[in-house]
Amino acid sequence: MSEPERPYRRLSPLTPLVRGFILVVALLASSWDDVLGGRNIGPLGWLLLAMLVVGAVYGFTSWLRTKYWIEADELRVDTGVVSRQSRRIRVDRLQGIDISQPFVARLFGLAELKMDVAGGGAREGSLAFLPLREAEDLRAALLSRRDAVRAMAAGEPAGPPAGAAAGAPVTPPVPERTVATLDPGTLIVSLLLSPESFAFVVAALFFGTLFAVVGDLGGVAVVPVLIGFALTQLRRLSAYYGFTVSEVPAGLQVRRGLFERDAQTITLARVQGVVVSEPLLWRRFGWAKLDVALAGYAASSDADGRPSASTVMPVASRPLVIALARRLLAEAGSPDPDAVGLTPPPVRARWVAPVRRRFLSSGAGEGLVVSREGMLTRRTHVVPHARVQSLQLRQGPWQRRLGLADLQVDSPPGPVRVRARHRDAHEARAQLARENDIARRARAARSPGSGLTG
Amino acid sequence: MDDLFTPPGDTWRPVSPALARMRHLVTVLAALVGLAALGVLTLLLALPAGVWVPLAVLVVGLAALAWVLAGRNARRWGYAERDEDLYVRHGLMFRTLVVVPYGRMQYVDVHAGPLEQLFRIASVHLHTASPGTSARIPGLPVDEAARLRDRLTSLGEAQAAGL
Repeated sequence: MSEPERPYRRLSPLTPLVRGFILVVALLASSWDDVLGGRNIGPLGWLLLAMLVVGAVYGFTSWLRTKYWIEADELRVDTGVVSRQSRRIRVDRLQGIDISQPFVARLFGLAELKMDVAGGGAREGSLAFLPLREAEDLRAALLSRRDAVRAMAAGEPAGPPAGAAAGAPVTPPVPERTVATLDPGTLIVSLLLSPESFAFVVAALFFGTLFAVVGDLGGVAVVPVLIGFALTQLRRLSAYYGFTVSEVPAGLQVRRGLFERDAQTITLARVQGVVVSEPLLWRRFGWAKLDVALAGYAASSDADGRPSASTVMPVASRPLVIALARRLLAEAGSPDPDAVGLTPPPVRARWVAPVRRRFLSSGAGEGLVVSREGMLTRRTHVVPHARVQSLQLRQGPWQRRLGLADLQVDSPPGPVRVRARHRDAHEARAQLARENDIARRARAARSPGSGLTG
Repeated sequence: MDDLFTPPGDTWRPVSPALARMRHLVTVLAALVGLAALGVLTLLLALPAGVWVPLAVLVVGLAALAWVLAGRNARRWGYAERDEDLYVRHGLMFRTLVVVPYGRMQYVDVHAGPLEQLFRIASVHLHTASPGTSARIPGLPVDEAARLRDRLTSLGEAQAAGL
């Protein structure tokens, strides 16, 4: 392979400034008054100044020493001030490339390129910081190079993988089409109507009653709850603000964030399943939320208030959510999750799950296994047959009395978990065998032996 | 016995009876430790017979129950190798049946702790991309564990289905 070696490139020269921004701010904040007043800046100021000088020298050297270039199907990154490192990232191992803009970097129009490498658990490949334009260009170049390498490696089966079938490999300037955007009004209303709000109102009522009965104690107690609630929702607001889903050759791209802009590409070939969530208070508006499970991303949920990377659409009308879900399930032939016939567990299941039974249902259909559960938030878990890892039949002592059993579909770590709970035991066993067969055929139908599909 | 957890087609292969023996040994040791602790306490605090006798009976009773359950549980373990997947069943009170297609296998672990080595058994654990897959077979004779591991590995490679 006698490719002409590309000239190396450097990160943005502003990188050290962005990295050391906190230090600069601290110095300014602590010695502002003194400098203006013409006084000495004091020992703390000197210390900070010394750190700043050392940091600046180090940062500049580091910037000078950091070079990257693409060479023979590898992205090479040379770094290191004291000891030198040379990292090589094989292009065909790239799973996805995300662009993220932390707040300070965003002020300077810079971005960080995060590369998701197959096999590497953590995101080991990161380039920070590049001008946003450059980051986007590099990302497009790497992805198109990857597709070319993979197409070449695939050899004679010239038919491109199902996900990239839409005529992708030739066009480096990625044609993007916006599929969905989220307007701030809907986002704010949806956050106010979220299950947390529900919990908050209940808590407030409880403490309010306490207040009325006991005296001022309840009033004090409600403050931390209020603050916690507000913080959680504000964090979500800032993370989900300006949420945009657009279509790129490899799949869907998600951009979000008020202060920090994050861009994440969801490669269709990595989709393991989706979850449609419908909180109680959203249902009258016909709203839903869409999450996706991706191979290689560690489990993350926004249960603790941290917005999760798995969210494809924080809130949208249900038809739009379903349309997005079908887009994500393109590898399985874009089946409609709503078209899968769901059946409830037998009536005798009320002896094990008197209330929950009425909210449980499950079924398998064209291309998909689906289960639904949840009283306050109705969650519909969807997994394509071809993505079923393993199947389990479980039965506890009570269920045995009643002739019931649970059927569970195992998926990689993520938000998706299809479970058919409290089904008739024999039906569940038959379904285990049937699903096992269907899943095997579905796997065989996808191009076999492709190893880590991506 | 129950047709719900019968294997598809052929019969379950049981695990080694050494598993039950090992668990029985552990039960006996635990009971002895419990009785010894009780004895020491009785001597130190000069407990009356009205206290230590029921406690001793309790310890022995629990040990007997554990003995019986350990044996029955060990006999419940079974696996069936098929052309394209492995079935594993286990559990007495809470029963589980797992199907793992060979193509979904990421890697296979063979583990033998000191006690297991004493009884010349090992456990084989299949890992898929899902941490929820509970496909573990304890108490296999060492040779059988090695054979199973080799077979699973070669079949897994031959039928690998990616993610």
